[in-house]
Amino acid sequence: MDISSLSLFTVTVTLFIIMDPIGNISTYLNLVKDYTPKKRFFILLREMCIALAFMVLFNFIGEYIFQALELSDTSVQLSSGVILFLTAIKILFPAPNSFRNNLPKGEPFIIPLAIPLIAGPSLLATVMLYARMESSISLMLGAMFLAWALALIVLAFGPVLRRYLGNNGLMALERLMAMVLVMLAIQRFMEGIQTFVDVKSWLA
Amino acid sequence: MISAFTTLKVNVMEFLLSLIPLATKFFLIANPIGNSPVIISLVRHFDFKRQQLIIFREVMIALFIAIFFQYFGEVFLGMLNIQDYALTFCGGILIFLVALQMIFAEPQDEKSTASKVEPFIVPIATPILAGPGLMAIIMLNSKIENNNFKISAAIILCWIVLYLILCLAPYLQKVFGPRGLAALEQLMGMLLSFMAMGMIVKGMTLFLKTFNLG
Repeated sequence: MDISSLSLFTVTVTLFIIMDPIGNISTYLNLVKDYTPKKRFFILLREMCIALAFMVLFNFIGEYIFQALELSDTSVQLSSGVILFLTAIKILFPAPNSFRNNLPKGEPFIIPLAIPLIAGPSLLATVMLYARMESSISLMLGAMFLAWALALIVLAFGPVLRRYLGNNGLMALERLMAMVLVMLAIQRFMEGIQTFVDVKSWLA
Repeated sequence: MISAFTTLKVNVMEFLLSLIPLATKFFLIANPIGNSPVIISLVRHFDFKRQQLIIFREVMIALFIAIFFQYFGEVFLGMLNIQDYALTFCGGILIFLVALQMIFAEPQDEKSTASKVEPFIVPIATPILAGPGLMAIIMLNSKIENNNFKISAAIILCWIVLYLILCLAPYLQKVFGPRGLAALEQLMGMLLSFMAMGMIVKGMTLFLKTFNLG
C-alpha cells in the first residue's frame, strides 16, 4: 500500500464521511427536540467534545491495542471494511429494526450521540488504522480536528439545512454519502487482502 | 457536397449506433420497466396531469444526478483513494443486492406502500432511477472511456427512452395487469443478477492485475 499517498485532505474527507453528520441530523434533532435551542447547542457541543476525545484517545492507544491483541494490519483492514460496509448497507436499504429507529429515551449523554452515532466502531477503527499508517501525529490530529469541526457545523446548522433541503433532500444526501461509504469499505477490504497476499509472498 | 453530407450522415449514424450498448446498459440498471409498478403506486393518489409532472421532474433530477456523477465522480474517487477494482466490486455488490430484492420481493414491499406525500427526489429520482448501481456504472464507464461526450449522449439517449416508458407506465398497468408487471420485474431481476456477477468477476480481474504475478 502506498503510505505516502495519505494527505491531510484525504484523511479529513474520509473521516468526515464516516462520521456521517448529514445522516445523523434527523436523529440528533429527534433526540433534542424537547429542549430550547441554547440547551440543544450545549448538548451538541458536549457530545461532540466527548466524541473528539475518544478519537484522540484511540489515535494514541490504537498501537497498544493492536499489540495486546496481536493483530496485523490485515485483520484491522478486513474488519473495519466489513463494519463500514454493513453500516452503509443499512443506510441504503433501511430496515425497521435499525439502531437509529430504536434510540434510548431521555437526554443524550455519551450514548447514543457521541458514541456510536458520531464516533462509532467504524470511525474509531479508521482512526486507529490511519494512526498506524501515517507517522505524522500533527497531520492525524489536524485531519481529525478539521473533520470534527465540519461535522459540528453541519449538525449545528441541522435545523436550517432541514428547512432548506427538506427531509427528502437530507435523505438524498444521506444516500449519496452511504454510497461513498460502501466504496470506501470495499476499498479497505481489498487493501486488507492485498496486504495479506503481499506478506505471504514476502515470507516465501 | 452530396458525398460529404452522406459521410456526415454515416458518421452520425455510426456514432448513434455506438451509443446503443452503453445506453442499454444504463437502461437495464435504471430499470424503468421493473420500477414502473413501484412508481405507479407512489404517484397514484394524484390526478393524471400531476402524475406526468411528477414523473417528468423526477426523471430530470435523476438525469442531473447521473451527469453530475459522470463529471465529478472521478475527482471524488481520487480524493478518497478509491481504485477502479473497488468501484467495480461496489457496483456489482449493490446491483446484486437490488436484484435479490427484485427476485425475492415480498408481496407488500416497503417501497410500494403508498404515502400521500408527493414524492420528491427520494425515492423515485434516487435511489430508484439513479441508484448507487447506476452511479457506479456511470463513473466506471467514464473512467474506462475517455470520450465524455459519448457517455453524456448515451445517458441522455437512455433517459429519453426511460422517460417515454415512464410516461406510458400508467397505461402499461392496464395492458399487463399487476401479474404481468410482477413477472417482468422478476425477469429484470434475473438479468440484473447476471450483470452484477459479471461486474464482480471484472473487479476480481482488475484486482488480481495489481499484484504483478506475471
